[in-house]
Amino acid sequence: MTGPLGWSVLEQTLVRRERWPGGKVKCVPLVYPGQDVLPDQPVLRIEQQEKVAESVLAGQRLSLPATGKIDIKAVRDGVNAAGEGETIPAGLRGRVVDITRRGGVLIESRAALIQGTIGAGNQVAGILTMWQPNNFSQSGPQAIPPGAILVMPGPLNLNMLRLAINSGIAGMIASSIETRDLEGFLQTDLIQLLNSDNVEQTQAHLPPLTLLLTEGLGAMAMPARIMNLLSQHQGAVVLLSGVTSIRQYVRPELIISLSSKETQQNWQPVKPDLALVPGAHVRVCSGEHEGAIGIIDHLFAYQQMFSSGVRARSARLRLEDGSLLVLPLALIERIG
Amino acid sequence: MYTQPNSEGEQSAALNTNTYTNVYNQQQQQQATASSLLVADCGAVSTKVSLFGLVEGQYRLMARGEAPTTIAPPQGDITAGVIQAINVIELITGRRFIEDGRIISPEQSSGDGVDVFIATVSAGGPMRLAVLGAVSTALEKLVEQAISGLYAEVQAIPSPAFVAATANAPASVGVGGVGQPSSPGIGGQWTQERLSLEWERQLSRIRDLQPHAALIVGMADGPAGPTPLQEACQLLINAARERSAEYGASASAGVPTQDLAINPYSVIYAGAPQYVDAVRRMLQGAADVTRIDPLASQAQLGAMSVAAGALHEKSVIRQIPGYERLRSWSGSAPLATATSLSSLVRFLAQHYAMNVTAVDVGGATTTVMLAGEQGEFVPAVNSGIGVGPGVGAILQQVGWQHIARWLPFSVNEEEIRQFVLNRMLHPQIIPTGMRELQISQAFAREAIIVTVEEAKKQSARWLDSDLILATGGILAHTPRYAQVALMLLDALQPRGVTSLVLDRTMLIAQIGAIASVAPITAVQVNENDAVSHRLGTCVVPFGDLQPGQLAVRVGVEYSNGRQLTVDVMAGSIEVVPLRLNEQALLTLFPAPGVDVGLGPGERARAAEEIDGGLVGLIIDARGRPLVLPSEETERQARLLQWAQVLGA
Repeated sequence: MTGPLGWSVLEQTLVRRERWPGGKVKCVPLVYPGQDVLPDQPVLRIEQQEKVAESVLAGQRLSLPATGKIDIKAVRDGVNAAGEGETIPAGLRGRVVDITRRGGVLIESRAALIQGTIGAGNQVAGILTMWQPNNFSQSGPQAIPPGAILVMPGPLNLNMLRLAINSGIAGMIASSIETRDLEGFLQTDLIQLLNSDNVEQTQAHLPPLTLLLTEGLGAMAMPARIMNLLSQHQGAVVLLSGVTSIRQYVRPELIISLSSKETQQNWQPVKPDLALVPGAHVRVCSGEHEGAIGIIDHLFAYQQMFSSGVRARSARLRLEDGSLLVLPLALIERIG
Repeated sequence: MYTQPNSEGEQSAALNTNTYTNVYNQQQQQQATASSLLVADCGAVSTKVSLFGLVEGQYRLMARGEAPTTIAPPQGDITAGVIQAINVIELITGRRFIEDGRIISPEQSSGDGVDVFIATVSAGGPMRLAVLGAVSTALEKLVEQAISGLYAEVQAIPSPAFVAATANAPASVGVGGVGQPSSPGIGGQWTQERLSLEWERQLSRIRDLQPHAALIVGMADGPAGPTPLQEACQLLINAARERSAEYGASASAGVPTQDLAINPYSVIYAGAPQYVDAVRRMLQGAADVTRIDPLASQAQLGAMSVAAGALHEKSVIRQIPGYERLRSWSGSAPLATATSLSSLVRFLAQHYAMNVTAVDVGGATTTVMLAGEQGEFVPAVNSGIGVGPGVGAILQQVGWQHIARWLPFSVNEEEIRQFVLNRMLHPQIIPTGMRELQISQAFAREAIIVTVEEAKKQSARWLDSDLILATGGILAHTPRYAQVALMLLDALQPRGVTSLVLDRTMLIAQIGAIASVAPITAVQVNENDAVSHRLGTCVVPFGDLQPGQLAVRVGVEYSNGRQLTVDVMAGSIEVVPLRLNEQALLTLFPAPGVDVGLGPGERARAAEEIDGGLVGLIIDARGRPLVLPSEETERQARLLQWAQVLGA
């Protein structure tokens, strides 16, 4: 996970997000400012939906609309709903603070937030579901509830994505994916996608499966701390956005609203401490050791030289396996 | 070539001699008491903070700190990165500058705190400016010239009536003439349906551009009369209505809610004066209109540039998360980094009576500015082109082969694309391996090349530079000085005799801003710390260089009397030892047809001694324009050879 400053996992934070399914749709809010909402509570109804562009994946059958509507009863019954008139769940537990001019619902929520490195796809809400080995087997596609947000602990590949979209899930969270697989699935040039200014327009042309990659491009595993956080909230209704725009400073994110039990009494959002100081828990965010986690063992007073000849302020890390590694501060991010 | 004023207004940070004196008088009292300054430069990727203090009566750089810029979520506050960079300075100096999230000011008797804090900003992205109305090619070019020194992107969206009237059609499509048939020409007939389509097309372009601001141009006596002005207003009204309806279009993607506020468009009206009131009435509620003189010739570029600079400050800089806090730390408003740099470049050109080129390769913007001793000024701020997040835009613009051509090893498109994606997703990283470093430097070359091309579009005549100043992270952090020299020679391709100076401390872009509050400090810092890394003098013969033949014979007479003659063959590059603080007299004997600045075959003898540098005296006889061998193995061998000769 590679936010520019680290702390891409915030276990206690206060977020305000507009609930909006994306695209050119006309929605009617079903709630009002000041109202408390639950994650599975419908907050919008789609009145008019622009025709979705033809799927880029020829021959696939889509079982859910791009909006990623979840209907808990429908999910339980294995029934999917689609089209105009469908409702959009909040995805967040919290309070409605505003209705935007286009009809979106602005919700404030106490939540855990995971920021991904790269992703794609509009905001969707769904039931957080951990991947099981037989999820994508021939006999078991029904094991994944339609509309779910599936967590894959390891790297994704194109085949998995194709199976996922055919299974009707709304979103996927995984550690990483090879560039060619992601481009093959999205049928787009990633560089162009990341450079895009017009976020809404760009997302409209992507397949209706929202993705968040915690580690990014390549074949890296998901850090245990993220897996643990996701496991703790298995079964919860969460809000996922895959939108990634370098120019607009937008990164994909997963928001898991905390339960009322978790936010009782002196609850305070945890503000990330950005300082890279001895003892700080950090992660290597690029290069040969990308993904490695450790503790800052020593901060060098003088710049250190690396094999390229570049000199940079550096730290010595004690990695989880006990080994020591000297890296420029620019290559490490604080994660706790 | 034209003279362009400082976009923030002549009075703000212009480091020219006159304003220098004025500013000095105004700030004398403050200057008299300021014994320490903190100067922050908030870039797209990193924030650099420098501490200046008095050392034996001279202002000197005392410490620097660098941290990632923090305007994106989850931090979403530009001051967080500034504080982090200041924390580095605190670590180095043992002094405290931050208390309860604020700058300690003035400086305390304990040494904690500073007297003055100043900030320059290049983060926040470019201002997107839509040019509406009767936008002819000539007017479009003028607008591009006027905003070339700003962080701005321009898109011309001429009104449908103007398009119809000028598309090789008779002027029947003016006021009341819309929908009349026109000559087939290149565009065919302009039916009502076709005009409606054009209208939709222009609306769609505004939708795609999502402009921060707009400029309306055109006179009433054009081929379509005043209709383009009216249509420009109508396009803006429609766009404002759509934007309002889509309030918070990016909110679902995680944009903080404070960004959702929709303000009226800011509009500069530089059209027919008699219609200004009508335009204001039409745009009431949809846009705030600032009127300037009609844009018709280069004479109006100054006013246009100042107005656009003010719009940039209003629509981009002030919208940066944490701006108000940053502003509250300083007695003066944060200045656009490019504006600050332009002040310095023009000051140097005037003060030393020479042609000066400044190159700043940043993460998301590349800037090339040329200031001539006669007051000429050609700025090119290439927003979106850089070696951080802007690296993808370079690849899209030039293609991977243009990157690969600078590499002394084989590389394929896949590797270049992976490099780009990695750099876009992790813009703060620095290259620790040699291969990664060389690819970064290849991108830096292309960033400069495309920016110079932009600059050359503004000027029919490109001045040969006497001094080239280089700054920006990729150049300042380059491990070897010779690597910087080679990058500058490859990308800028100077001719004649020039000096190369590296701003290792990345200060020159802030000097102009410092001058606005502390002019003495600015001058002393510039001389002591900013332009202190002289790479060397460079001789670049050009003209009819014959491969394998003598290009120029160089006679060097060192100040200790030692003499040296070097024959430099066409296609090669040589370094003559001439170290920092050494001087020598130079005599150049070019081959017939070869020019060293005085005409083909004309021999040149320097009237004054030339200075040495960290690389030495460089003779670049590779030819202009520089042509790389097309055969891969030969090209790689040549690149290696040139690098080895220079010690890169």
